[in-house]
Amino acid sequence: MILEMKNLTKSFKGSNSKSLVLEHINFNVNRRDFLCVVGPSGCGKSTLLKLIACFDKFDSGSILLNNKVVTAPQLNRIMVFQEFDQLFPWKTIVENIAFPIRVNNISMSKKESYEIAKKYISMVNLNNYENYYPHELSGGMKQRVAIARALAINPQILLMDEPFGSLDAQTRTTLQEMLIEIWEQTNITIIFVTHDIHEAILLSNKILVMDKNPGRVKKIIQNMLPRPRNPMQPGFSDIYYEVYNLL
Amino acid sequence: MIMIAKDKFNKLFINKIFIRIFWMAIFMLIWEMIYLSHSFSPLILPSLGTILKSMYSNLLSGELIKETLYSLNLIFKGLGIGIIISITLASLSFVSKLFEGLVETLTAIAHPLPGIALLPLIILWLGATPHAIVFIIIHSVVWPLALNTYSGFKSIPKVYRQIGENYELSILQIIYHILIPASLPYFLTGLKIGWARAWRALISAEMIFGATGENGGLGWFIFKRRVFMDTPGIFAGLIVIVLIGILVENLVIVNLEKLTIRKWGMSI
Amino acid sequence: MTKIFQGKYKAILLIFLYFLYFSSLLMGCSHKNEEKVTERLRIAEQYGLAYAPLQIMKTNKILEKNLPSIEISWQQVSNTTAIREAMLSNKIDAGFMAIPPFLIGLDKGMEWKIASGLSYSPTKLITNKNNIKSLKDFTKEDKIALPQPGSVQHILLSMACEKELGDSHKLDNLILTLSHPDAMNSLLSGNGVTAHFASPPYIGEELKDDKMHLVLDGRNVMEGDFTFIVGVTTKELYTKNPKVYYGFVKSISEAIDFINKNTEKSAEILAPLYNLSKEETYKLLTAEGNKYNTKVEGLEKFSQFMLKNKYISKNYTLKEVLWNDNDSKR
Repeated sequence: MILEMKNLTKSFKGSNSKSLVLEHINFNVNRRDFLCVVGPSGCGKSTLLKLIACFDKFDSGSILLNNKVVTAPQLNRIMVFQEFDQLFPWKTIVENIAFPIRVNNISMSKKESYEIAKKYISMVNLNNYENYYPHELSGGMKQRVAIARALAINPQILLMDEPFGSLDAQTRTTLQEMLIEIWEQTNITIIFVTHDIHEAILLSNKILVMDKNPGRVKKIIQNMLPRPRNPMQPGFSDIYYEVYNLL
Repeated sequence: MIMIAKDKFNKLFINKIFIRIFWMAIFMLIWEMIYLSHSFSPLILPSLGTILKSMYSNLLSGELIKETLYSLNLIFKGLGIGIIISITLASLSFVSKLFEGLVETLTAIAHPLPGIALLPLIILWLGATPHAIVFIIIHSVVWPLALNTYSGFKSIPKVYRQIGENYELSILQIIYHILIPASLPYFLTGLKIGWARAWRALISAEMIFGATGENGGLGWFIFKRRVFMDTPGIFAGLIVIVLIGILVENLVIVNLEKLTIRKWGMSI
Repeated sequence: MTKIFQGKYKAILLIFLYFLYFSSLLMGCSHKNEEKVTERLRIAEQYGLAYAPLQIMKTNKILEKNLPSIEISWQQVSNTTAIREAMLSNKIDAGFMAIPPFLIGLDKGMEWKIASGLSYSPTKLITNKNNIKSLKDFTKEDKIALPQPGSVQHILLSMACEKELGDSHKLDNLILTLSHPDAMNSLLSGNGVTAHFASPPYIGEELKDDKMHLVLDGRNVMEGDFTFIVGVTTKELYTKNPKVYYGFVKSISEAIDFINKNTEKSAEILAPLYNLSKEETYKLLTAEGNKYNTKVEGLEKFSQFMLKNKYISKNYTLKEVLWNDNDSKR
């Protein structure tokens, strides 16, 4: 599987003028990549993610998935958003996860979808919370459900827009570890946007550093550090300073 | 000892139902005092006793119950149709800007019109049948409900729609699975308003309209009592109207809220 | 002193003031009677052929002539029920209505009695359906329009039902409340009511159409003439203001005399009020069954029927419902 970004350009038409948000974006993502996109705030990394998901339209260039042009949101690229309120509040946890599995699959029964959903609830370590409503969960738990929901459909690519940004350090660490584990166990490709350099180095095998005004690809850094990773390990700080100096 | 009693007394007064009953008792006391002072003819202000007696005998004869059920039947019919139309209008407005303009224009014209003002016209078009009354009920419900539901659709977090698109849902699926449950708080607010308007319009229309066949509803019940100068009967009818209003608003709709938006943590 | 206008004292003061205001309103209600009763006469005004003497009274200023220093006011009231309520809340002193609503009010405790007869008027049940020749031809699908339950039309219909069908309430479920103009429109349109218990000029208008025909004539139901409209006054007026009361009765009599002796002139006066030509108005005034007289006829028949069918709780003789027995013997 290969995802290709070819010469993407996007402008934003404001009330006064037109501003260039992204310019000449070119890069590829291969199967099982864990690509972290880092950049100064306002560089357009979230916008880039939205373009890949096709929630937004670009002005010129193209996006190809396995040599086919993508133009609309699809099940093979699922987004996990930053906000906590991305779960449907009127559905229980298990129903939130089971619903997308079942909705376009006429032959599947509710029971079957629930079985599948429960597996993913396990994967994110939320057993016993199946019948809770989202408003009864903490922020970290909600993000876990969002990830489970995204994974349950078996997409090719997981798009994550600073999903751990609003969590406290401890919860963040727990979820990062969980995400790495899931990535290692499945075949999934992840594109992860973050402003936290530490997080990027911890998670990724490739780091895409962006420039701003306009948003451009500055450099793509390979991250071959052995796992499990921690900030103390040798090589970590080298990559850290490399990225830091580019920003 | 005194402290405990005082505390219990205060707690009692805070209890909402007790407070309501307390004020109603005061009101009834004032009523009876005015009656006894003979400031007004008993034909205008009958005693509570005669009112209750009248209620009892009308209940016993079955007439009050029959007319109440007739009215309720009409209003729930109208409410049901009104809800379907409202959701359809809101959905169409959501999907097409052209249609949104149409609905907004219609609402601007129709919303301020009281249903009873339209009654003579409607009788001319639909004939003197209960259909005319159901039409008025629908008119009273649709505009506030459609307005509120559409407001709800527009104020749902953008994420929900994006998630729906991500799952490759059709627009109809998005409306049914996502928009409608997500806008339920707004919908219920609109429903409360619509119910109140419809109930009032129904009773007024029944008063003007007259019976078609055996029944004419609660409004007609009151009208007949008025014509035959049965003032206690009028009050008996009014009490039933108020009771039903309270029942629906505080029992039915509130419980609906409890089972849905409060359970989901979605109350506005 | 200034402390009174601050904080909770302000609230208490406001509540006290409101309380005073409202109790004064309540007390005021029952004491308004005492003001200036002898200086005024308030009459409920109504339109229609059966009320023609009222229009004559107004136009010829008969009341002003007989009661020179009295304030005369005519008030718009929509129907008999409204007249009752206006009298109860002490807004009018005199009104005109048919006998059955008068009896119902009297039976329920209204302190009123008849001051004078006013008019006899034809009243007929007309239908637009060919196959309805008599009451037994009405089916559940039909609708009969009349002014309201308890009206003279309703009572006449019930009487006819009792005579022809054995049950006075037989056609009650077919009744639809409509004003005369609305009823006529509905009847003529063909897709509304199937019958209308009408009064002139609607009777004439409706029968002009070939599709319409007569089912019932009020005179046949009552087996004779009966007074259609009577003039009624409050007890207050009769007891506390006899001068005005007698002036009122005299004026009615004079207006009726005028119509009977100067029918053509009356037609001229009334024509613009009814939006008809002088000739049409004259025809209506002199039509069969239409006459103006201070006599009150048919009351006892109404009373007996209404008692039997529980519209009222006791029987009333003519003598006990007149303020002044002499008036009826004209």
